[in-house]
Amino acid sequence: MFLTQLLFLSLSIFPLAALIAILFAAKGSRTFRQSIYWLLFSVNLLVLLISINTAFFNIDLDFQLYRLAGSLQISFHIDRLAAFFMGIIAFVSSTVCVYSVRYTEHHGSARSKNFTTAMTALFIMSMYLVVAADNSFTFLFFWELMSLTSFFLVLSDRSKTETGKSALFYFIMTQMSTTFLMLGFLALYTVSGSMQFIQVDSLSGLFKAGVFLSLFVGFSIKAGVIPFHKWLPYAHSASPSNISALMSGVMIKVAIYGLTRFLLFVFSPDLWWGVTILVFGLVSALLGVIYALKEHDIKKLLAYHSIENIGIILMGLGLYIIFLKYDFSTLANLSLIGALFHTLNHALFKSLLFLSSGSVVDVIGTRNIEEMGGLIKRMPYTGILFLFGSVSIAALPPFNGFVSELMIFQAFLHSFVIDNPFMKVLLFIGLSLFALTSALAAACFVKAFGVIFLAMPRSNAARESHDVSWIMIVGPSMLAAACILLGIFSYQIFNWLGFAFPLPDLMVIGLSLLFIVVLVWLFVKLVANKHSRTSETWGCGIISQNSSMEYTASGFSEPILTIFRPVYRTRKTVNRNFHDNFGSIFKDGIAEIHTFKLFEERIYLPVARFVQKISDYVSNKHDVDLDTYILYSFTAIVVLILITGWLIK
Amino acid sequence: MHFILYAFINTLFVILVSPLFVSLIKKVKAFTQGRQGPPIFQTYFMLNKLLSKERVYSVNSSLIMKMTPYINITCMLVASLFVPLLYVPEPVAGIGNVILFLYLMVCAKFFMALAGLDAGSTFGGMGSSREMTVSAVVEPVVIIVFAALGLLMNTSNLHEIFSSSIKSSLVFNPAAILISLSLFIILIVETSRIPVDNPETHLELTMIHEAMILEYSGSDLALMELSHSIKQTLLMAVLINVLMPFGLALEPGITSILLSSVLFILKAVILSVIIGIFEASFAKYRLFRLPSLFMLAFFFSFSTILFELLR
Repeated sequence: MFLTQLLFLSLSIFPLAALIAILFAAKGSRTFRQSIYWLLFSVNLLVLLISINTAFFNIDLDFQLYRLAGSLQISFHIDRLAAFFMGIIAFVSSTVCVYSVRYTEHHGSARSKNFTTAMTALFIMSMYLVVAADNSFTFLFFWELMSLTSFFLVLSDRSKTETGKSALFYFIMTQMSTTFLMLGFLALYTVSGSMQFIQVDSLSGLFKAGVFLSLFVGFSIKAGVIPFHKWLPYAHSASPSNISALMSGVMIKVAIYGLTRFLLFVFSPDLWWGVTILVFGLVSALLGVIYALKEHDIKKLLAYHSIENIGIILMGLGLYIIFLKYDFSTLANLSLIGALFHTLNHALFKSLLFLSSGSVVDVIGTRNIEEMGGLIKRMPYTGILFLFGSVSIAALPPFNGFVSELMIFQAFLHSFVIDNPFMKVLLFIGLSLFALTSALAAACFVKAFGVIFLAMPRSNAARESHDVSWIMIVGPSMLAAACILLGIFSYQIFNWLGFAFPLPDLMVIGLSLLFIVVLVWLFVKLVANKHSRTSETWGCGIISQNSSMEYTASGFSEPILTIFRPVYRTRKTVNRNFHDNFGSIFKDGIAEIHTFKLFEERIYLPVARFVQKISDYVSNKHDVDLDTYILYSFTAIVVLILITGWLIK
Repeated sequence: MHFILYAFINTLFVILVSPLFVSLIKKVKAFTQGRQGPPIFQTYFMLNKLLSKERVYSVNSSLIMKMTPYINITCMLVASLFVPLLYVPEPVAGIGNVILFLYLMVCAKFFMALAGLDAGSTFGGMGSSREMTVSAVVEPVVIIVFAALGLLMNTSNLHEIFSSSIKSSLVFNPAAILISLSLFIILIVETSRIPVDNPETHLELTMIHEAMILEYSGSDLALMELSHSIKQTLLMAVLINVLMPFGLALEPGITSILLSSVLFILKAVILSVIIGIFEASFAKYRLFRLPSLFMLAFFFSFSTILFELLR
């Protein structure tokens, strides 16, 4: 078929581009790299068109690339779901490619820039192919490629000390994810006898539960679901912003794709799966946003918001299973489409936020938002783009983030149709927690936008900043335009695609907003006093106001931190010494604030210490060189093959 | 066409009557404190005066400060389409959706909080921070109250909720009384009244809402004040339409609209008097004691849900 060939031909440009970038590493000039990015941009747009076509007309594309042995083959099958995710990857990647044309030039030597370019191309390609995979072998193969390339990308800024640690953390987590997935896939293979993603009904009991949990944990690690989330803030703060946009906007969505694929097309889910997914979703969403409020590192803040939004997506998936099990197919579809639409929306606004904050970080030279401020007057375009992203992520109408959250809210609100009273109570508690999450996200983005872009600059770097070049505006602008268009025309889009949900028509709302704002403006123009002047901010009589008087990010989130104190488990110790016995004349003192890192200290470190203990024990027993280790691996493989042969016989 | 007529009448009515209740509450509070209080039409005079004053912007402020009054009043006026004050029209294009109604108000609040930070004043930042905290903590209560309403009426559309409450008044339904208590607490919180906020003072320790709009002047301030009073009227109207819907017409007609407007003003006056007396009989809470107040409201509304679910 023509479309299939065109699609895979264009995908083959990615490894070619990567190869060229690496081969010409030494003499790679600036225009050379830029043309590679423009090439990738146009290829991504082509893939976008093909996947929109595939998704819209609901056609399937098949392609077999290479047969290794027996059922181990690399083959692809693209249906509507896969095409939808490929579309997300294609659109976000194309905007990131435009942005990278300029952004990449700001960092590192020519060699490392070329390497980054090559890895970016391979990374994008591997994400496409994971989604397109027809069987678990292909899936895992490209999943690993995706993990490896993204690992190198996290590692790309080696000048910072924490990069190595973050990359290692990420690498270990991503390998754990692969291990769990492999376990699940192998277990499925023993039952179905096929590597393909086909409906498996013969599972039952504990085995089915085990397979589900294994796959769920595998995908959750990659998606950053709490408690498997810890790599996200580390990896995002270490990696360049265009890579963060790809990783947070797209890569974690690939894990959501995997989960959705298995829930929809492979398993027939049980009710408790839905409850599990919903509860994990709620916990991720709430804790994600609560941790984000505490964060002053803009990229870590955004990373925690990714965790929050993944939680919202999981809520939708969980609700889908629950409603499906109680035979409410309309509500089930509403939650599923809501979850998928939120996946798309989060990809758009989170990449938008990462790209525009990347511009800010690039100009200011720090990720700490306390050293920014007043940037909207110095970087107006970037500021407006960040505002669009903030409004979308805070789910304000008529932007896209609102629509998908509305769909999930609607599903929650209609949960009274379920007969089981316990389930109803659970869902209503879920509803209230979701509302809290959403409101806290709005508070967090008032903080982020307000502290970064409004009021007075808090540092010299911020005072002397200026807007970035037009290319770094164009990429995010495409995302911002998509955010507003997908919001306003959501009702029409769903109708075209054949999903008739009872949602409000935001186009009408948008038009009424526009109409009223024009009326009010005309009224003020005609009736009110036209004079205006600028003057000092009221500072209780202090003549010259300076930036140390304005509200800081810590000050802003302080009330919320106080209310949610039990979550943070912050310990404050104050030791004071006094000159006198009455404790009135202060001499000196020590005050300490410790944040208890619950997940690190209670989950990650115990596991790490356990593994460390075992490997210490083993390495004490022998002291050998590399050759012997290779011999060990070889022997292990031979023994495994023998055992497997004996078992299968 | 019918809907445009409804939109016109409803919006005009809400703009005209909203300032009345603001000054009425002030009057009631003044009476309880043994003062004469401002004239009952004081808010109208003030809005009129503000429109003729010049606008003063801080040197630090940006376009956010200039945009916000327009965004605020627009969000409130569109939200007012969701709450019929005089008659309930046929639902059009999903107008009346509870979530959309709530998020239009959140949208106004979001920009107001940004405007509070814009001038770089400590007061503004303090106001924004507190406002976002309070609104975040009260949000679960708000959603559960509206979910409980939806559960009671089997719909999540405000217009449908109201038209079914007209048909079967809820005054004697115990669930409705619990919901009304929570709605009243939400009304107090969202309109920045004692014990959550003190609308009268400009002391940094007590103000939340006033702190955010401290830098506004002239017509901008007029728009902010007007949208705040519209918000108050809308929330009052939700409470009135749920608990005492009589008079709210189902069909447009000159006599029915006249009757329902008189009745609405009457009911809202009674509610304003109650709010005034409530405010006068409380002291402002400490900020960090507020979550317990919200827990109370949450408890009321969640027990409504349990009551309905397990019936």
